[in-house]
Amino acid sequence: MTRRQMLSLVAVAVVALTTGFLVAGQVRAQLLTPSNQVARYQALVRSVQDLEATNADARAKIAALRAQIDALESEAAGRSAATQALRNQVADLRAHAGLTAMHGPGIEVRLANGAPGPDSGGLTGYLVNYQDVQDVVNLLFAQGAEGISVNGRRITPLTAYSGSAGQVIIDQGPPLSSPIKVTAVGDRNRMAAALDDSSALPDIRARQVQFQLHLTFVGSPDLLLPAYDSSLRIPHVTAS
Amino acid sequence: MSPRRNPLGTRRLPRRRASGGAISVWLIALLVALIATVQIRSEAEVARSLVGIDTTSLAFLIDDLHRANESLQAESTDLAQRKATLESGGSGAADQVLSDEAKHLRAVEGLVPVHGPGVVITIDATGLTALDLQDALNNLAAGGAEAMAVNDRRVVAGVPIEQTGSGVAVDGVFIAAPWTITTIGDSNRIGEVADAMTQQLRADRRVRQASYRVEADVSIRAVISERPFVYAVGS
Repeated sequence: MTRRQMLSLVAVAVVALTTGFLVAGQVRAQLLTPSNQVARYQALVRSVQDLEATNADARAKIAALRAQIDALESEAAGRSAATQALRNQVADLRAHAGLTAMHGPGIEVRLANGAPGPDSGGLTGYLVNYQDVQDVVNLLFAQGAEGISVNGRRITPLTAYSGSAGQVIIDQGPPLSSPIKVTAVGDRNRMAAALDDSSALPDIRARQVQFQLHLTFVGSPDLLLPAYDSSLRIPHVTAS
Repeated sequence: MSPRRNPLGTRRLPRRRASGGAISVWLIALLVALIATVQIRSEAEVARSLVGIDTTSLAFLIDDLHRANESLQAESTDLAQRKATLESGGSGAADQVLSDEAKHLRAVEGLVPVHGPGVVITIDATGLTALDLQDALNNLAAGGAEAMAVNDRRVVAGVPIEQTGSGVAVDGVFIAAPWTITTIGDSNRIGEVADAMTQQLRADRRVRQASYRVEADVSIRAVISERPFVYAVGS
């Protein structure tokens, strides 16, 4: 082997060694730490998924129990006029509480995420948040909506909204995210006029301009609202 | 024959071996670099896709879902008990179950006066809007309030809270300052929400005073009138 060949082999070895050190450094600094973060994150996501599955099972069980109770009450009402009268009263109360499915004319509002602006930094103004949903639902109720559902979740007298970073949680349901569909049964002309009013929903309107947040709506002669499938317990409240 | 050509060809073989070895080393180095790059980029891609929901938000979500599932479990237990009562008794049992549910739903819908442990919040301010009041009531409901009233006007989801020329109206009636928000529910949880809320309100220039008190028995006498459906039909 000539001196020149020796030198080139040494050069190749040195370059390979340097590359090896650089790759190892990169792996330590850039790859392993994120891998741990990702693993931790995935564990949290798995927990959420497990809890969501439990949540769905529990809601299905509640819906089934309510149907069985209704059948048993119907049977009892068939044997007594007094029971039938009571059942009619409860049926009306259940309808107003959102415990029974309903349909009628109304309006469907669609809310969807916009685009992050170039100067939005870490801001999440382009995402649909729970306050947007709350504002739209309140506006529709103020315009006489008789029943409302959000992505198939029925709104009840006890409904509360929460969430963060584009996640919308309604009562005991799973988190919802864009696109959000708010379905309301009631006077569709009145609701449409309110949604058309440029002074209504000021926060959403501002973000429509800034982040192209989507807000569209369409009227319909017949919309279906599902029954509420969660809890209406008020353990701390006693009727006077 | 060119003088530059190797007449015996004896020196060409080791030269090929040396250059072949170097190429192999380079190829391996290139392959390692390629795999490392792909791996780093894919990890970075995964990390970027998770930016939407941070771990803190996920932790809150888990907490919310735990609480929701406990509540659903309690509702299931109540319903199973109601079903067992209906299965075991005659029309007397059915009447009792139906009467109990009617009483419960009237309280849920704000149709009857109610009482129980709770928190009373007082906010004296100028210029607060209907959206401010809606946000406050929603925070309290999300924080465990089971019945609420504002200045003796009963509020449930669906009661209109609107901005009018003279200020904020609840169910069509103007609500003058100071606002007294009466809540019934888990007073520990509502107390925490009220504490955070009043601190935040005191930092608001429109607010002159914001305070709360926890009470063992709060009474809400205001009720909502029943509204028959005009458009909706039961399915």
